[in-house]
Amino acid sequence: MELDLNLVLSQLLAGVSRAMVLFLLASGLSLIFGVMNILNFAHATMWLLGGYITFSLYEGMGGEGPLLLMIAIIGGTIVMAALGALTERFLIRRMYDRELPEQLLLTFALLLIVGDIIKIIWGVEDRSVYLDIEALEVGGTFINPYYFVIIAVGIAVAAGLWWFLQKTRYGRIVRAAVYNRDMVSALGIRIPLIYMGVFALGVAIAGFAAGVFLPLMPMALGVDIDLIVQCFAVVVIGGFGSILGTFVGSLLVGVVYAFSILIWPDGALAVVFLIVVAVLMWRPWGLFGTELRY
Amino acid sequence: MSSNMSDKKWDSVLRSMDRREFIRTSVGAGLAMFAPRFASAQSGKPYKLGLLLPVTGTGANYADGAIKAVMNATAEINSRGGFLGKHLIEVNYRDTHTKPDVAAREARDVINRENVQTVVGTYSSACAMAIQEIIHEQKILHLAATSNSSKIVNENYTPYTYQFCPNSRMQSGSVVVAVAEMIKKNGWKSYATIGQDYEWGRQTQSGFVEALGKASSSVELKKELWFKLGETQFASYISALMAAKPDFVYGAIAGKDNRTFIQQAKAQGMFKRISYPGGLISVTELQQQRKSIPRGMIGLARAPFFAHLDQPLMQKYIKMHRAKHGEDAYPTDWAVMHYDAIYGLEQAINKAGSIATEAIKTALKGATIDTCRGRATFRDCNNQLNIPAGYVGAVKDHPDYPFPIYDLDTMIIVKAEDVWVPTCGDVQKLQKKRA
Repeated sequence: MELDLNLVLSQLLAGVSRAMVLFLLASGLSLIFGVMNILNFAHATMWLLGGYITFSLYEGMGGEGPLLLMIAIIGGTIVMAALGALTERFLIRRMYDRELPEQLLLTFALLLIVGDIIKIIWGVEDRSVYLDIEALEVGGTFINPYYFVIIAVGIAVAAGLWWFLQKTRYGRIVRAAVYNRDMVSALGIRIPLIYMGVFALGVAIAGFAAGVFLPLMPMALGVDIDLIVQCFAVVVIGGFGSILGTFVGSLLVGVVYAFSILIWPDGALAVVFLIVVAVLMWRPWGLFGTELRY
Repeated sequence: MSSNMSDKKWDSVLRSMDRREFIRTSVGAGLAMFAPRFASAQSGKPYKLGLLLPVTGTGANYADGAIKAVMNATAEINSRGGFLGKHLIEVNYRDTHTKPDVAAREARDVINRENVQTVVGTYSSACAMAIQEIIHEQKILHLAATSNSSKIVNENYTPYTYQFCPNSRMQSGSVVVAVAEMIKKNGWKSYATIGQDYEWGRQTQSGFVEALGKASSSVELKKELWFKLGETQFASYISALMAAKPDFVYGAIAGKDNRTFIQQAKAQGMFKRISYPGGLISVTELQQQRKSIPRGMIGLARAPFFAHLDQPLMQKYIKMHRAKHGEDAYPTDWAVMHYDAIYGLEQAINKAGSIATEAIKTALKGATIDTCRGRATFRDCNNQLNIPAGYVGAVKDHPDYPFPIYDLDTMIIVKAEDVWVPTCGDVQKLQKKRA
């Protein structure tokens, strides 16, 4: 196949937008693991729940136009933050001293429970938001302008998380708690509150991401399972607990996948997981993780 | 019914159709099952039916209508006392998660634990073929009302499976009939395909490519793309398709993935440059994407109600469906096919005069039954019902419905006999595997 500039650019855009979808989902997963050492298998299911809640808020307000969607996304994010805080307080907090398999079992049970709650409340039909998006013609090819929104949101969330963790007092406390929670506690800082805040933030980002994706893809039962596998690939490549690593890992997976579809479509997914295998073999703590965390 | 029905109202119809109505219908079916039990001293033993459909995974989007159809039909039959007026139907529902291993496990469980006599379902041909192994071994009837890989009635044939929907070969063949005309008319030279990477997707695509090769040998296949079930991001695939610059794209996509693909392909401008004829656009897609689906797009449906409004059974079903689910609710293709399966079973039981599995199997063999899609006959050599193979038409708004349907003036309905495996000798060659 001829690789002209337009094709390379459109495929690059497709890859980066795919990367940002993965980043928005995986960043919360990575943040929660990095700070709390909890591997939340139900993270993508919380994302799905956020999507359904945002959908209902949007429909409840009349279901017309991007402004109402933005309001619904903010509402959905707040609801998910509250649900995240409650989940941490009543479930996750009991698991901090348990082994990883027990944590995984609990969060897997949470995945099933939340999935069934979605089924009971919203039924089994897909839910999506229709915005009348017209394709943009750029250099002889068509581009979905909503991909620019996804990319902008992904970059903004990455920058916001970096600023929060590096430049704010609360962020410094969170980072300190990663390395020595006893010392932080000895300073009179309430670790459980920090953890609750981090878990709520991680789940809120997932809820926010789901709302942003609604005009792009329908929310449907089972999508969470597919996405969580890809998210694990991203955080394994980037390094658990590293936001920068998650960002780079997402870009790597998104762009490699996009170009593999052009060059070797049948092996696109295999190429991504070959990278995962390579990272696990030669740098098991990920590209940007630390051996300490590993 | 109002054609200007507000979107909000229509959304509430769709929503109420799945959760509240499902619960009401299920409870209704249950009550209808038990009520005559006390009313009639003539009650025989209940007839146990296993219903295997997914409410999770890519097929969940279609299962809702199918489950309602089975519940409504069995409730109606039970209100008459059940099969033969004395065998109340007990429905044992199981979720297959659209996964063959789960489907096989649930089929085995529902047969061994609940002692069902017939299994209805399921969505996904891979799931159906996994179930076939079990029903063949246990000698249980299997009514395949949605899963439609042609292997189900050919390579994987068992005398216990009866196919109520057009199989993938028939479907592909019917698209070819329409596409071949468009190739002539538009002077198309090349095409590309995109499909779900599993049994049905592969079968449908290969059936299309093979049939098109015979019908229009000059047209070149430029690119084939396959994606995993449950894909959420089609941007890279759409760019790759557009880069290949085919005159048209054929999609072997169903379920949630179909909705996602159409939504993203439209927003990425694919339909402005490339025709997309013959993708699956059933009543489900027409209802759910009523605002976004491009008008004029050529789609394929399996059993659209609007094509058979003259059929008495279809009229009866639409009336029942609207009475239960609202004035603006219409049955989906998947609902129609399951409704036909239940009444097909009842007609066979009436003919056999018994609920014994072997007697019903014998009664169904080569039987002619009334369906919502007209009178149809099971093909002797593979139990494929000769209902229309496909409905190909252009999406168009209609004043009588709150969602678009096909343009009834130009819609093509392809006969089963025109596109299925030509002779029973050919079918038997394909069936050698199980023999």
